[in-house]
Amino acid sequence: MNYQFDFNFLQGNFGLLWDGLKVTLQLALVSNIVGLVLGFGLCLLTLSRWFFLRWPAQLFIEFFRCTPVLLQIVWFFYCVPMLFNVFIDPITMGVLALGLNLTAFNAEAYRAGVQAVPHEHLDASVALGLRPWQRTLYVILPQALRTAIPVLMTNGISILQQSALVAIVAVGDLMYVGKSIATEAYRPLETYSLIALIYFALSLPIAQFVQWLERRQDTALAR
Amino acid sequence: MKASNLAAVPSRPLHACETKSSEFIQLRDVYKSYGENLVVMDHLDLDMRADDRLVIIGPSGSGKSSLLRVMMGLESIQGGTIRFQGKPYIDGNARGKGKPMDCTLQTQVGMVFQHYTLFPHLSVQGNLILAPMKVHGLSRTQATEKARALLARLGLESKLNVYPSQLSGGQKQRVAIARALMLEPKLMLFDEVTSALDPEMVIEVQNVMLQLAEQKMAMIIVTHDMHFARHIATRVVFCANGKVVEQGHPDQLFTQPREPRTREFLEKVLHLD
Repeated sequence: MNYQFDFNFLQGNFGLLWDGLKVTLQLALVSNIVGLVLGFGLCLLTLSRWFFLRWPAQLFIEFFRCTPVLLQIVWFFYCVPMLFNVFIDPITMGVLALGLNLTAFNAEAYRAGVQAVPHEHLDASVALGLRPWQRTLYVILPQALRTAIPVLMTNGISILQQSALVAIVAVGDLMYVGKSIATEAYRPLETYSLIALIYFALSLPIAQFVQWLERRQDTALAR
Repeated sequence: MKASNLAAVPSRPLHACETKSSEFIQLRDVYKSYGENLVVMDHLDLDMRADDRLVIIGPSGSGKSSLLRVMMGLESIQGGTIRFQGKPYIDGNARGKGKPMDCTLQTQVGMVFQHYTLFPHLSVQGNLILAPMKVHGLSRTQATEKARALLARLGLESKLNVYPSQLSGGQKQRVAIARALMLEPKLMLFDEVTSALDPEMVIEVQNVMLQLAEQKMAMIIVTHDMHFARHIATRVVFCANGKVVEQGHPDQLFTQPREPRTREFLEKVLHLD
């Protein structure tokens, strides 16, 4: 290979890359907040004793699990405005698509966590006179969260990476900016390598943290 | 069994005694079954006075634990009625009922379980103050003060900020008893609380229960430890197949059981010839 690497052209594009990175971080962060909060609510619905709450919740999860993320994003961008006659700015739409996708996956992570809470703890919280919402908030959620955190964080990293898919519908995230720069400068190798490096640098510390957490939990359980 | 080394457990006034003693708990015709075949409370009648320490013994599946779980509101009954402190508490005949009707009465019952039920994400203090703050509306300071005093009486004051995973089995059960006592119950239910413990830890938990007995706390205890049953009970109830087969003073029931079924059971568990 006699390709001559040249990164000089990137100098004039740092501002653009920074703007793209901010959009990516915004997408990932807000989607994670949406996914963490709504995910727990959805998990409670799937565990409800009433089928009319349980079934729609399960259907929601299956929809997001069984269709490609790219398709979900495209569907949200093109179909939601047509169906509901609303026009939302692209970043919010991206957050909505990614956030709801994450909600479905996080609900499953939470469910495993909730089911891991020993039934005796529920009995004990009834015996202590705690009301149902108090049992959920003070006894179940903290324990479920503890078990679910590694999976929730892994889901969080994957949504950071999947956020790159919104570039396809012209949201100006890191991937979109990279694509534009690569096309303009005819330098795809340097540009995409740099973009990959940035995603990698963002994800690696979180992945390492998850591994550390898992090791810590294993030790705690072994105690 | 000695309880001499024990400092006093909460020296609160025993409200239970205020009720006319014979009316403290009344079970009438109580029926409960799991499915069609397993009847655990078969038209059960049982009375308890406020100064009673009822120990329930019997083979597995005889409905001992079910009785405690029903009293605590963890399970419902399908027939009969239960009165607590002279008031209607559970009505199995009412449609869609079978669980405690009166939340205030329910909070006057405390229960300790066989398995450790301390919440692992909370420290000992967190476990103790959660319900007093959320249910009784105590401030954090008031609840912490109460927890500190209670733990000191149980010899666990150094464990206030420790997490359950750092406690021994016996300590966990003592903290679980303290957690139930924080709500100042008028009736304590103990469901095989020493079954999962090593022998040396059994004693420390039983000592706490004896302390409570000295203070005339009304208790219903389910246990397989016949020596402890004889020591702590004011009355022993032998259940089998969801019915009360025989009940009486521990000295009478353990030495001269009237019913052959009781004798057979005691011979088995006490390894008598």
